[in-house]
Amino acid sequence: MLKLDKVSKVYRTTEVETLALNEISMEVGPGEFVAIMGPSGCGKSTLLNTLGLLDTPTSGSYSFFGEEVARRSERELTALRRDRIGFVFQSFNLIDDLTVAENVEVALLYRKVPGGERRRRVAEALERVGIGHRAKHRPQQLSGGQQQRVAVARALVSDPSLILADEPTGNLDTVNGEAVMALLTEAAGAGVTVIMVTHSLAHAAVAQRTIKLLDGRVVSETLLAA
Amino acid sequence: MFRNYLAAALRNLQRNGLYAGITIGGLAIGFASALLIGLYLRHELTYDRFIPGHERVFVINQKVKPQNKPLVDMDDSSANLAADLKLDFPQIEYTARMAPAGFPPTIKREGVSISERSFAWVDPDFFKVMPMPAVAGDPRVALEAPDGLVLSRSAARRYFHQDAPLGRQLLVDEHPMHVTAVIEDLPTNSHLYGDVFASGKAAFSMLRQLDAAGYSANSNLTYLRLKPGVSTEAMNAALVGFVQRRIMPAQRLQNPNQQFDQFAMRLKPLTSIHLEPSDGGDPKPGADVKVLAGIGVIGVLIVVVAAINFVTLMTARAARRAVEVGVRKALGAEPRDLIVQFMGEALIYIAVALVLAVALAELLLPAVNAALQRKIAFSYLTDPPLLFAMLAVALATALLAGLYPALVLSAFRPAAVLKGGPVAGGPGGIAVRQALVVAQFAVLITLVLSTLTIFRQTVFALRDATHTDKDGVLMLFASPCTDTLRDAVLTVPGVRAAACASPMAVNLGNSNDMVQIGDRHVFLNYAPVDFGFFDVYGVRPLAGRLFRRDRPGDDGALLRDTSPTIVINESAVRALGFKSPQAAIGHLVTWHFIQKLSMANLGGTYPPPRASEVIGVVPDFTFGSVRQPINPFYYYVGPKDDVLGSVALNIKLDPARRAEAVKGIDELWMRIGKGMPLQQYFADQFMLRLYVDNIIQGGFIAVCALIAISIACLGLFALSAYTAERRTKEIGIRKAMGASSGDILRLLLWQFTQPVLWANVLALPVAWLVMSWWLRGFAYHVAMPGWTFVVAAASGVLIALSTVFVHALRVSRARPVGALRYE
Repeated sequence: MLKLDKVSKVYRTTEVETLALNEISMEVGPGEFVAIMGPSGCGKSTLLNTLGLLDTPTSGSYSFFGEEVARRSERELTALRRDRIGFVFQSFNLIDDLTVAENVEVALLYRKVPGGERRRRVAEALERVGIGHRAKHRPQQLSGGQQQRVAVARALVSDPSLILADEPTGNLDTVNGEAVMALLTEAAGAGVTVIMVTHSLAHAAVAQRTIKLLDGRVVSETLLAA
Repeated sequence: MFRNYLAAALRNLQRNGLYAGITIGGLAIGFASALLIGLYLRHELTYDRFIPGHERVFVINQKVKPQNKPLVDMDDSSANLAADLKLDFPQIEYTARMAPAGFPPTIKREGVSISERSFAWVDPDFFKVMPMPAVAGDPRVALEAPDGLVLSRSAARRYFHQDAPLGRQLLVDEHPMHVTAVIEDLPTNSHLYGDVFASGKAAFSMLRQLDAAGYSANSNLTYLRLKPGVSTEAMNAALVGFVQRRIMPAQRLQNPNQQFDQFAMRLKPLTSIHLEPSDGGDPKPGADVKVLAGIGVIGVLIVVVAAINFVTLMTARAARRAVEVGVRKALGAEPRDLIVQFMGEALIYIAVALVLAVALAELLLPAVNAALQRKIAFSYLTDPPLLFAMLAVALATALLAGLYPALVLSAFRPAAVLKGGPVAGGPGGIAVRQALVVAQFAVLITLVLSTLTIFRQTVFALRDATHTDKDGVLMLFASPCTDTLRDAVLTVPGVRAAACASPMAVNLGNSNDMVQIGDRHVFLNYAPVDFGFFDVYGVRPLAGRLFRRDRPGDDGALLRDTSPTIVINESAVRALGFKSPQAAIGHLVTWHFIQKLSMANLGGTYPPPRASEVIGVVPDFTFGSVRQPINPFYYYVGPKDDVLGSVALNIKLDPARRAEAVKGIDELWMRIGKGMPLQQYFADQFMLRLYVDNIIQGGFIAVCALIAISIACLGLFALSAYTAERRTKEIGIRKAMGASSGDILRLLLWQFTQPVLWANVLALPVAWLVMSWWLRGFAYHVAMPGWTFVVAAASGVLIALSTVFVHALRVSRARPVGALRYE
């Protein structure tokens, strides 16, 4: 489903050149739950941004659901992202000026989903993550764990093929972290491909495969014992 | 989708109340100012359009250039003209003349006397040429009777306490006249100025006197209404032949020595009178189109300053919306979607500002009307073009001002902003914001320098340029001013000196004569004065002497077959070809001494020229506007039989006893004034009327400068607060490294001083160019010394520093640990 072939990403300024990804090759199949680990600065977030079409590789090829996307325009990438991908971020990234329901609804706005159906799907998503009773609250009124559930609901509401989670439990305590991991595992079990960046060995162990990065390269892959 | 955008916009506005308030407040003030300026400009540009069929109504304009004299452009014309035009041109439907009263007539009713300045003599067909809405009676026929009066509604209420006093009597200069119609008050956007219109058929009317003067005097306006379908171009072409046929023979008869380089006559549209003021004749001061354009530009600049606030604050705070933009983009929003969202937010800000602006404009309009002496209406609901213009300006502002912030916001890259942590402003954001602050302060500094220059020029015009000492001089208008009156006033305690003067001496009239010296013929202005006139105003001779009572040859009232001696001014010295004032003394100048100055005598055959000795030369001085060069003048002491020879008693008061003297004069007048109302002004007040437009302009630009300063300060205040907040971490680090509070304060103040310094570089040359051009419109004007530029530049810096000082001081005193923990 997702195939990176010798993908590199170089960040250039007038004085400095940083090689964030160094000829990475990897494949992720449909419905897989993959964890990516590595020390700070190893390229985890860059890899996630590339996989999520938020950034384009400097070289190499990236096949996204059978389509080569490494050299696509921003407009084409936006369309692919809109139709296929959901995101969960470490710092939740909810919009402070919108209610919980409105935040989740944003994921459907740009897909031209009619109003009635949007409201139905938002309600379902909120119930699925157990936060339906807070639909009219603002993010500032929720705890960290609750905010992350909203973020997961936002990622799920558009029925994505792929969820990319960048340290989704990084700002949460153990209990809330476990709750979020349960949601992601449930999504994976429903056939959604989940790729998660994490520092936590315990959470990585939930995934079927763990890829370790160092200095922009894949240094190891570990399969979870069945 | 738009509900989601609207929810985000309104809640963001609510959450950032201070910044939103400052942005909307600045826009509201800017819009309100532009609205009031727009209403004023529309008022000025639509004079006389309330007259039905105004496209067919004209005033006769003459451009006359006598040989060796400057061109005169006048809307005045001769009393005979109207009748001759009607005879020669069947295309004319109606003609009518209008003449001011000269000396304001006294109108009496039941023992109350009023000196009525809003008075005009008009021909019976006046209200056929210019129909006006009637309150009572029929104005079109109301002046057929020689004793007919048409009053405005205000005049009717003033004299009779009712709106329709038809048939009621008023005494006009002791002559009974009757109210035959009442019209609505003239709107302020009319070139006409009058509450009482009297029939020119009255035997004592100014028009009958002017009839006697014929083509020698140009002292009335001649209006005409063409028949439908008549070509104005054809009429103007035909007037060329009319001038040759009718005017030039009459002029040659009047003065055979007078040659003309140009004598042109044309139909000036009624609606152009205000915007193309002439050198003489117009009932009210006209407008200067260039000044109106300048006012319009200032109105636009104020909106620009407010819009700049909007752009700088929105872009400065764009980082706070970065996460939202990143999330929306990650979820599939295209740049177009985000631009629509943020331009929509701009529209919300603009809409709220517009509503506030309308309320503010309504509140301020009465004060504006009072200051400008206008009656401008603001009825946007029943004025579709106005409503459309307001909405169009608001929409244009939203589009132009909203576009850049929308582009900045929509340009955030999701990968860069979604990781969390502080986010920098949009690409190129700081440089653009600095440039916008530079632009704001450039406007502000230009307005400050302009205000200062206009103020200095006005003070100069009122005090120094006239070359007279008008301090403590009272002007008492009498018809005519006599020796008896003068001698009576001289007995009042506190009066130091008194002397009569003709209208020409105090710039209330203009007469000239062809004088001869040797074989040289020169046109000079002349003005009869009284003994002691020059002393009252502190004018000392440059050569020779002034008039003296013990010299019989000096007193024109005593002479019959000879002319009195004359005193000339410096300009006359040059015009007559003398090398110096001293060189002119003792020479003989031949001129036409008219024993009794009156309209009838002016219109008759001139007496034979006689020679007079030049006994003295005085400096050029004027009671006129410094916009014109001072004319060459000769003065003489003439008889005081007629108001044309002597109209005002000029009284020098002892400064220490001014109040006592004024009271004494009031009491004297009550005894000898024969019940006539007392008309007196201090000479300063009298001169002020020439500069009302300057004073209004200066006041207007000063107000605009204050508005621009307020808006710019609001924006700078908010920007400094935001910048201080953004630099909290940096400031914490600097302080941890050892920077003192003073170092931090200097750092922050310098950040906001730099754009102001650049603004000075931009603004000062532009202001110098604009003000130099404006000053060139005056024959005598102030210079623009370096200190005025320094003051304008320093004021910009001071305004900026005082605005940002509070935030800068607070931040510089904060403890570093608080700043570092912020991250």
